[in-house]
Amino acid sequence: MKEPILQTIDLSISYGGIPAIRNVSLSIEERGITAIIGPSGCGKSTLLRAFNRMNDLIEGASHEGRVLYRGLDVYAPDVDPADVRRRAGMVFQKPNPFPKSIYKNVAWGPSINGYPGNLDERVERSLRQAALWEEVRDRMDESAINLSGGQQQRLCIARALAMEPEVILMDEPCSALDPVSTARIEDLMFELKERYSIVIVTHNMQQASRVSQHTAFLENGKLVEFGETQTIFTRPLERRTEEYVTGRFG
Amino acid sequence: MKSLAGRRRLASAFRYACALVTWGGVLLLGLLLYHVSRQGVAWLDLQFLQSFPSRFPDRAGIKSALWGTCWVISFTAVFSVPLGVASAIYLEEYARKGRLSRWIEINLSNLSGVPSIVFGILGLVIFVRAMALERSVLAGSLTLALLILPVIVIASREAIRAVPQSIRHASYALGATRWQTVRHHVLPSAFPGILTGVILAVSRAIGETAPLIMIGALTYVAFVPENPLSPFTTLPIQIFNWSSRPQQEFHHVAAAGIIVLLVVLLLMNATAIYIRHRLGRNTGR
Repeated sequence: MKEPILQTIDLSISYGGIPAIRNVSLSIEERGITAIIGPSGCGKSTLLRAFNRMNDLIEGASHEGRVLYRGLDVYAPDVDPADVRRRAGMVFQKPNPFPKSIYKNVAWGPSINGYPGNLDERVERSLRQAALWEEVRDRMDESAINLSGGQQQRLCIARALAMEPEVILMDEPCSALDPVSTARIEDLMFELKERYSIVIVTHNMQQASRVSQHTAFLENGKLVEFGETQTIFTRPLERRTEEYVTGRFG
Repeated sequence: MKSLAGRRRLASAFRYACALVTWGGVLLLGLLLYHVSRQGVAWLDLQFLQSFPSRFPDRAGIKSALWGTCWVISFTAVFSVPLGVASAIYLEEYARKGRLSRWIEINLSNLSGVPSIVFGILGLVIFVRAMALERSVLAGSLTLALLILPVIVIASREAIRAVPQSIRHASYALGATRWQTVRHHVLPSAFPGILTGVILAVSRAIGETAPLIMIGALTYVAFVPENPLSPFTTLPIQIFNWSSRPQQEFHHVAAAGIIVLLVVLLLMNATAIYIRHRLGRNTGR
């Protein structure tokens, strides 16, 4: 196994004393796609948000255990959460572009972090990577709100890519999209996985089996099984996993 | 359960009741404006705007009150808007949502309901006496600033709270600091709402008489304020003064004063709407 880029060790997170995930330990390899699946409320998103400390924004959230990014403790006292988030881009469940122009949506991240290079080039490159450039090249000054849902979500991916992160965290990125837009996002993920480490939370089991190389199955805040996607979906070790992936429950 | 026809009747009765109340209010306001303008328009001319008050109705003018209002309201806005908006930002974006923040919230609502004359007493004790500002523009505007501060804080908090959480998350996820998030996303999105609140608050301050009389604003001023420490009068005080005189002509002069006050108010509101419109376009909303 390659050196893990992200790792959790005995990670437990609770909101106001109520545990959301308990003693989760897993390692995510560099490059490729890791899917986190499980029934609603099992803690998938909580686990995802632990990687870039987005749980910090939720009042009453507390954690035990460790989250490592290339071996460095993300929650160490001298670590600035903003620094962690710069390296791990995030795409949310509902497309959430800023109510600004398309250009500004992509350029804002690099510009607040003092990007020294040519901002226009960076914007174009990010939009090309997100397979959106051809559709928006002539209307960069238009408001992002006027784009379709699928375009907005690709814009959000471009916005994350503009930070040149190593990791992209996706929280059910297609759940608000139609099948055509979903297919485009999946194609995109397929290309991106060559350069980035993608962690995706998904409700959609076909999606997990289509796009990911590794899959983690969570239930009631506990990691039931983690392994190669093919194994998880064809001959899982745990009965709970099998029941879930074959659709007998959840 | 009631019959469908019965429910329909109830629904349309409610609709007509609402319409009646709305149009009744508009009609009343219209009558009032008609009455005021019929009395005042004849007295409204350049001479009225350029003259100081006089004991002769046809020589009386509103110059000192108009300038006094401009001075007092400008300073009121300068004191209250930054303080109010900053407090709202702190309470919404930085402060922990605990017992203390709820306590502050309750007290803000209470303060916004306190009669203005109470603020006048406070202003008299603190600004006029303790800080020895005397009956100056500064004392008046500080008092009015206190009066409208709760309104500005509450309206700004509402506007900031209405900014979707997803925008903040998007910003933080890019590694933005709290300040960058507030400066670039929260404030621009909340700006129209904040501006509306500010305008409502400042409009209230323009019409206030009681707290200014309390702190000893003059009712007869034959000069324009020269600096923040000058004595002053304002439009509503001047109007009140005229309308309390026995001569009929002065009541008409008061009506002319009311028209000037209304025009000042409308101009302010129009400016705010224009700014809101312009900025709304620029942020691509």
